[in-house]
Amino acid sequence: MIEVLAPGFLSIVVDRGRQGYGRIGVPSSRELDRFATGIARYLVGIPEDAPLIEAMGNDLRLRILEETTFAITGARVRATLDDEPLLPWSAVRAKKDSVLRVAEVLEGLRYYIAFSGVIDVEPVMGSFTTNLECTFGGYHGRPLMKGDRVALRDIREPAGLLTVPETMIPSMCEPHLIRVIAGPEADHFLLGSVRFLANRKETVLFRATSRLNRTGIRLEGEPLGFRDEVERSIISEGLLPGTIQVPPDGHPIITLAERTIGGYARLATVADADMDMLAQVRPGDRVVLSSIEITEAERLWRAGRDALSFYCKKQ
Amino acid sequence: MDIERFGEQGIRVIFGQAIDDATHESVRRFFLYTSSLNLPGIAEIIPSFRSCLICFDRERARFEDLAELLKGMEDDWRRMPLPDVQRIEIPVRYGGDYGPDMDFVCSYSGLSPEEVIEIHSGAAYRVYALGFMPGFPYLGPLDRRIYVPRQDTPVLKVPQGSVGIAQLQTGIYPFESPAGWRVIGRTMVRLFDHLNPPFSLLSFGDIVRFMRA
Repeated sequence: MIEVLAPGFLSIVVDRGRQGYGRIGVPSSRELDRFATGIARYLVGIPEDAPLIEAMGNDLRLRILEETTFAITGARVRATLDDEPLLPWSAVRAKKDSVLRVAEVLEGLRYYIAFSGVIDVEPVMGSFTTNLECTFGGYHGRPLMKGDRVALRDIREPAGLLTVPETMIPSMCEPHLIRVIAGPEADHFLLGSVRFLANRKETVLFRATSRLNRTGIRLEGEPLGFRDEVERSIISEGLLPGTIQVPPDGHPIITLAERTIGGYARLATVADADMDMLAQVRPGDRVVLSSIEITEAERLWRAGRDALSFYCKKQ
Repeated sequence: MDIERFGEQGIRVIFGQAIDDATHESVRRFFLYTSSLNLPGIAEIIPSFRSCLICFDRERARFEDLAELLKGMEDDWRRMPLPDVQRIEIPVRYGGDYGPDMDFVCSYSGLSPEEVIEIHSGAAYRVYALGFMPGFPYLGPLDRRIYVPRQDTPVLKVPQGSVGIAQLQTGIYPFESPAGWRVIGRTMVRLFDHLNPPFSLLSFGDIVRFMRA
């Protein structure tokens, strides 16, 4: 059992996402940084489909009411267990009644806390993840609040207490370099606005605005120009996480995990290999877009997947 | 039928360029047929006005193979008998506190509230897509006489059950949410219940009529 003493800015239960209900508009609501969550689960020895906590903000405090192992990955944080400083991305054993505190987020936005037991929440439509807008899934369909008690089932101690080597922890400093593949409506834009899609050496700079959440990241920069002969919105159609949509005002929105359909021109899609980085973009950060071919995107995805499984097997 | 890759894990299957009955019927056939096959490696099939988006799992399927497979099925789904659509009536309280944008719709269209209600509740609408939020139906076509543009800036909160119109569409907000459409009424009917399968009151292709409550 875990007791929430302070929930930070926003803490929710997430997993790999809700799947198979896109036809009735149900989005995946999945964990956003999948490298961080994959490592967190590995460190504490829970299955790949087990839920964990996705948190944001300073001063999160949890009282751990029974002996368990935990790990914090994702954003770089200054954390302590009973006032002892913790190494980042490490498995840590916690005694009964110890207090875990994340005092401050140093780099990145979202951190993940996994325990060596399974967070005991009811699955909704096949997933433990929280749909915040519709208030279902996760912990009673809502963020964790002070006083909540979260039960852990099947607590098992992992074989050893591992620390992820510094070189494997992704940098989350801005500017974030995000690689994209041209989208279905890329040709709706003036060539001068989207030179970066035609030429791999060109980039375009935006800034993440404060309109940033699990639904999407609104960017701001030189507005993208639409060609005169095209409609500024499209007939609504399916979206994937990472789809970059451009509303009539020319300021792109990167779709994350809470929408299945959209009606704005789809400029591009973020390479899957760079999706984790989007989870760590903070308001005001610089975001630099450049384009790659789909074959390159696939190669990057495979390399990332192999790096994760190599690390997990080697130990 | 055009098949295009979309991002790394998406396939767009496109059946037309505009919103019309023939295109909708092709989407529905293709959607029902491919959904019934439970093809390995296909994670989602999201039907909409003129296309289906297929999301596939790269660990289990390759784009080239799936595209080939889908092309080869065209004769089968085009010949498939279509099941009857579900017809659903939704009672709506129009205007007043239930429909804060009724005045705007009247002044934009030059019609009286009575005429707007008459027109809105006088037609049968098709569920062309479900999305934006779980269970939110994109319904159309809306009568041109009550065409209104979307809100320039979305309203931050409309109550659950709000019935909106925008351009040539109408829809119902299943949850309290921000809204970009003009709200003319509200229904007490629950459109989405996460605890009870099939979860969404409406399915793709259903026919909806609004009744004045």
